[in-house]
Amino acid sequence: MSIDWITVLAQLANFLLLIWLLRRFLYRPILDGIDRREAEISRRMAEAEEVREQARSAEARYMEQYEKCLAEQDSMVLRALAATEGARDQLMDEAHDRLEQERREWHRHLERERREFMAQLQQAGTLVLSELVRRALHDLADESLEAGIVRHIGRRLAPMADELAAAVGATRQASVTSREPLAEPLQARLQADLAALLPGIRLQFSHDAGQSPGIVLQLGGARVEWTIDSYMDEFERLFAQDPAARTVLLPDGHEH
Amino acid sequence: MDLTPDTIVLWEYGGFRLNATIVNTWIVMAVLTLASWLVTRRLRPDVPPGRWRTLAETIVLMIEEQIRSITPHAVHQILYLAGSLFLFIATAGLLGVVPGFRSPTGSLSTTLALTLVVLFAVPAFSISHGGFRVYLRNFIQPSILLLPLNLLGEASKVISLSIRLYGNVMSSAVIVAILLSIAPFFFPVIMDLFGLLIGMIQAYIFAVLATVYISAAMSQPRANPPPEDSL
Repeated sequence: MSIDWITVLAQLANFLLLIWLLRRFLYRPILDGIDRREAEISRRMAEAEEVREQARSAEARYMEQYEKCLAEQDSMVLRALAATEGARDQLMDEAHDRLEQERREWHRHLERERREFMAQLQQAGTLVLSELVRRALHDLADESLEAGIVRHIGRRLAPMADELAAAVGATRQASVTSREPLAEPLQARLQADLAALLPGIRLQFSHDAGQSPGIVLQLGGARVEWTIDSYMDEFERLFAQDPAARTVLLPDGHEH
Repeated sequence: MDLTPDTIVLWEYGGFRLNATIVNTWIVMAVLTLASWLVTRRLRPDVPPGRWRTLAETIVLMIEEQIRSITPHAVHQILYLAGSLFLFIATAGLLGVVPGFRSPTGSLSTTLALTLVVLFAVPAFSISHGGFRVYLRNFIQPSILLLPLNLLGEASKVISLSIRLYGNVMSSAVIVAILLSIAPFFFPVIMDLFGLLIGMIQAYIFAVLATVYISAAMSQPRANPPPEDSL
């Protein structure tokens, strides 16, 4: 066991050199690397936290916009519903108006048809009634309808003498209108009845196919008449009041 | 049989003899430096460490942790010294299993050199930590009458450290050599394994003792204590 002092010095130098080499190539790189890595990890953690914070804020913004969109959507839906309801109400009103208008037109049409029908009915009824009256008079009294009418007008003239005199004035003329030409005897009788009340008056006889059966005596502004129409007016009034009569007289589709 | 590689002279020029101790020390130094350079040449903070870098970091951090468990002062500076002691002794012991390689720690010159390094480092750390007067005061504590004993204690550190390491490594080599002559196939392998274990233990003990000596020298209160965060 000997000590070589030259070797000791050499080993001292070698070991000091080794310390420097290890410090240069091992300790400092390792320790600095660890520090840099920790710093890098800290930096990345900070960046991650920052990114996470940005993500949170972005999420918050997104949620805010989402809520806003939902609110706008609800508002739009409500507006659309209101507009739809308004349009629906408008369409319903227009439909109601059209229905009402069509109903009115339909009623007018029905009323027009009813009037036409009633006019036709009245015209037909007039003829039928005059024919029935004519037959009844002929069968019961052996008298014509026109003779009865002349006698009836002659009776009505007497109470109206003053009125008729005032109406006829100085013209001393009167007119007699009938549906069919009036027979000569009847004309003479009517002339005689009127002359008895108003002497000197002259009658002009004429006939009008469009007139209702009967006789109309026109003296100036006065008018004495007997026509079937007055009966037909009564007939129409009674017809309007009696449903049974309407049912009989207005078959299928004519009752309203 | 050569008990120490100092006697193996490989080259001689004038009065200087290049023996196996120095050459094998260079080999150990080259291995350590080359391995360190290979591991740490491409360190990037944004790249995860590889297996070799992880191994190097683990070794360094383990040494640092051991030092930190002994003393909180000047950990990195002690790491450079004690870590180098540990790595040098451990690598020399590991290379001892290579046939023909004589561990330089089996030389009393090497162990004495390492001990002298520690012996010089202890006052250097103590003076840098507490100042020169504090260091000198350690030798007269608790009484000036103990100055001879304290000086003897410092000298005994050198002797105990150097002889312990030298004796363990050298004895292991001697035992292996003896067993090779008696039973060359089995027992030398077992003893080599024991030699590896003993080499690692001695490396640990040498480094820890050096740290303890330095730590004890720095444990005296400072003349002008720095702020705590300057540690």
